[in-house]
Amino acid sequence: MAMENPTSTGKVPSLNMPYRTFWEKTRPIQVAILFLLPSLILFSVFVFYPLFRTIYLSFFLTNQKGLPTVFVGFDNFIQLFQSADFLQSIEATFLFVLYTVPASVVISLFLALLANEKLKGIHFFRTIFASSLGVSVAAASVTWLFIFNPTMGVLNRMISFFGIPEINWLADPHWALLAVSITTIWLNLGFSFLIILGGLQNIDQSLYESSSIDGAGYFYQLRRITIPMLSPTLFFIMTVSLINAFQTFGQIDLLTGGGPGQTTNLMVYAIYKDAFVNFNFGKASAEVVILFLLILIVTLLQFKFVEKKVHYQ
Amino acid sequence: MKRKMIVAVFLLMSSVLLSACSGLSHADDNRIQIVFWHSMAGPPLEALNKIVNDFNQSQDEIYVKPEYQGSYEESLAKFRRVGGTANAPNIYQAQDIGSKYMMESGDIVPVQKLMDEEHYNMNQLEKNIRNYYTVNGKLYSMPFNSSTPVVLYNADAFNKAGLDPNKPPETYSQFREAAKKLTQANKGMKGFSFLNYPWFFEELLAVQGGEYINQNNGRTGLATKATFNSQKGLNIFKWLREMQKDGTLANYGTSGDNESSGFLTQKVGMFMSSSASMAEMFKNAPFKVGVAYIPRPDNIERQGVVIGGASLWLSKGKSAKEEKAAFAFMKYMASPKAQADWHIHTGYFPINPGAYKEPIIIKNYKKTPQFKVAVNQFHDTKSTYATRGPMMTLMPQSRVIMSRAIDDLYQGKNLQQSLDTAADHVNEAIAQMNLANKK
Amino acid sequence: MMAIKRGSLYVVLILIALLLFFPIIYAFLVSFMSTKEVLMGHLIPKSFSLTNYIDAFQALPLLHSLINSMLVSIITTIGQIIVCSLAAYAFVFIEFRGRQFLFFLFVSTMMIPWEASIIPNFVTVQKLGWINHYAALTIPFFATAFGTFLLRQHFKTIPKELHEASRMAGLGHLTFFLKVVMPVSKTSLVTLGIYCFLTTWNSYLWPLLVTTDERSRTAQIGLRQLHAQENVTQWGVVMAGVVIVAIPTLLVLFLGQKHLQKGLMDGAVK
Repeated sequence: MAMENPTSTGKVPSLNMPYRTFWEKTRPIQVAILFLLPSLILFSVFVFYPLFRTIYLSFFLTNQKGLPTVFVGFDNFIQLFQSADFLQSIEATFLFVLYTVPASVVISLFLALLANEKLKGIHFFRTIFASSLGVSVAAASVTWLFIFNPTMGVLNRMISFFGIPEINWLADPHWALLAVSITTIWLNLGFSFLIILGGLQNIDQSLYESSSIDGAGYFYQLRRITIPMLSPTLFFIMTVSLINAFQTFGQIDLLTGGGPGQTTNLMVYAIYKDAFVNFNFGKASAEVVILFLLILIVTLLQFKFVEKKVHYQ
Repeated sequence: MKRKMIVAVFLLMSSVLLSACSGLSHADDNRIQIVFWHSMAGPPLEALNKIVNDFNQSQDEIYVKPEYQGSYEESLAKFRRVGGTANAPNIYQAQDIGSKYMMESGDIVPVQKLMDEEHYNMNQLEKNIRNYYTVNGKLYSMPFNSSTPVVLYNADAFNKAGLDPNKPPETYSQFREAAKKLTQANKGMKGFSFLNYPWFFEELLAVQGGEYINQNNGRTGLATKATFNSQKGLNIFKWLREMQKDGTLANYGTSGDNESSGFLTQKVGMFMSSSASMAEMFKNAPFKVGVAYIPRPDNIERQGVVIGGASLWLSKGKSAKEEKAAFAFMKYMASPKAQADWHIHTGYFPINPGAYKEPIIIKNYKKTPQFKVAVNQFHDTKSTYATRGPMMTLMPQSRVIMSRAIDDLYQGKNLQQSLDTAADHVNEAIAQMNLANKK
Repeated sequence: MMAIKRGSLYVVLILIALLLFFPIIYAFLVSFMSTKEVLMGHLIPKSFSLTNYIDAFQALPLLHSLINSMLVSIITTIGQIIVCSLAAYAFVFIEFRGRQFLFFLFVSTMMIPWEASIIPNFVTVQKLGWINHYAALTIPFFATAFGTFLLRQHFKTIPKELHEASRMAGLGHLTFFLKVVMPVSKTSLVTLGIYCFLTTWNSYLWPLLVTTDERSRTAQIGLRQLHAQENVTQWGVVMAGVVIVAIPTLLVLFLGQKHLQKGLMDGAVK
């Protein structure tokens, strides 16, 4: 890498120097490293070290203090893939991602488009739409626990008003995951909304003006100008929501505890239980490694196929 | 403007570093400071703080500093890491099911040692509670907040259904019958609710004299096998299934809060509850609340209940002076006066029966005699391995596993199979742990 | 025609606002109720008495933990903005070999669930002697893939010509970064700042583990202490606590929003 001629990788910083020393040739990477150094140090200590530690532990049985004792090779992984519980938890995780990510992105896009209209008092609505960002997962979960309460909850009282029989939202295996998803979407909206609105407002207004002159309608503009110009933002939101959805924890803990019948036992929750309650670090570590690989694959696919469609200026 | 920002950033950064170096230590007086980690929150936290304050004011040699460390689980996860190090507290509150881990951790001193040294009369402590924390004749920790399960019922709804609120049901069939009548007579009410909280299953097993694991509930040796999938375990599931079929069983999943509100809004007539929440129920219910013993099968004699809650552990590796000071505080916590206060304000049992003679308790029992039912149920307990409760490191994990079996029950799966699967999972976990701990 | 359109827009906006804001309004209403009222499923409290708020303040050293939360969140936010913008700059404006790979390595750190690395990190912090120090609550969060990613996406929308022009003018990387990139990206920096502030403010498990002492504790831990484990929850008091702790965050959100709008107005440089 050090022997590489920087010209092949892009623009050269030194323009008028006929002879360049090694020091100068590697100039870009030196500068880059300076800029990246704080992140690299912190990541090494607080992210990569635990990751390697986790990978290491995943090949061991651990004792009740969480220390590795017996090397078991891939046994932890094999056991996990043979366990119906774990497979179900993977399935639940994917379902949950499917329920929450597209819905969050679409709804917040819709909200952002609405709030981008130039109306009197729109700032007020913007703040309201973003408000769920200001509420902690714990506080939100507690509130939703009430809303979902089978007997006195607002939701059931509303649907029974329409003559629909009461639903046991959090204790019925058909509904629990959906109920948790609704809570999650609500929690996500504030942030996604804010980011997408920011993206919308960054779009150069002259683009719209010129197309209006050409007589383009709202939806034509939306399809041809707004969405393409917004695509870096949308891509960002999609990636982040995806990763966050894979890592959902707080609302599960407070709303369902992984039940009923494990239908909401998402992977991070299973990991938390294994690591914090069961203190089975070997197993929990193997689960982390699998989850990590799953997210990695999905994100790679997203970068490979979706980022191509993203329009960068 | 920009310069101001930079200065501000610089100041903040340096304050981080400064605090990193100097720490947030504070000036100390000459008293021995005892750090006490606990998991008490809400009303029990207030009651606890009051007792600690009373202690700190009652003398001037020891200062106890209570520090909340999150739920029992969060706190234990932390203690596993800091136990034995300088960061460990002097006194640590561990949940009942964490006891086995604590005993084996090597990070604690059994309170028996201090009791022997100081000739503490441990007979003043409730025998049935002591039994839980005693293994091989040695008391490991000082009991503190102890509770048992009870059945709470809506006495007004009993009247409406033609049931005698002064003679609550006792056996499975009586409960089933009562649940039917309650459901019929009270619009929108289900007769009974059983929360998916496996502690209640453990208790319903113990009341029949059933053991949860082998080796006499893990009390005479290391348990190697789960035994809760016995006929006695099946009795519980069958009974619940029958009520489910009758349409008299409510399902609140794992949410105790939802269940409580169901009871208070008269959607549920009877439910199993911890005695620790009785006080709040009496206070908040818009109807008369009755307390009953937990149910047993018709043909099996009642053995009693296992004590739940938490106890206080002494850290190892502290100076003899601190150890003695910490024990002095424990003794205070176990005194009749402190326990009477504690009992009245929280609903946890006095671990010291001397507390029942304190005027505050006598007065309170006159006002709400229902408290007494829970105490009587507890005193009626026969001391057997079953009622002393299971002792196993993996108890927390077994609860996670049992919770799934209870889910299966609600989803109409085969009962014996669900129990067997749960037992298999526990057995696998035990085998793996034994393998991991060999070294 | 315009009036009809505008009118129906308002109707839609109001309906959605009500729907979205309902949980927060509900929490607010509950904070005035007695336990009995809450458990009976009332929607409107009988009276707006402040008993619950007084109880919450009496039960806990809330004021002190609020100050701690404020300090910790501000320090983390500033630290994160500096560290992440530096990294994002390198990924957008410096072309070096392995850039793509390194960026993906950064993004991949997002994929490791924080709950999974909590215990190893706790051990690290313990070894560093940071238990009960602000350092443990802030420094581990200075570098985040999320922040780097967010800023990178924004930096990428800065026209390349700007960079070239600045180089022609002989500006170094640091000058370009400070004088051009940062001011132009005000909106994204504010967005990241808001997000970082709020997540730090709302975090619970990590602060609980790395602090043992009330003096270094943050508000979320205080909140948890209102919520008993084996007991009937006093929802009114809990919600009063929730409201107290949420006020600063909603304020940050509100002010941040205003600033965002302003930033957009004068940030016409595209």
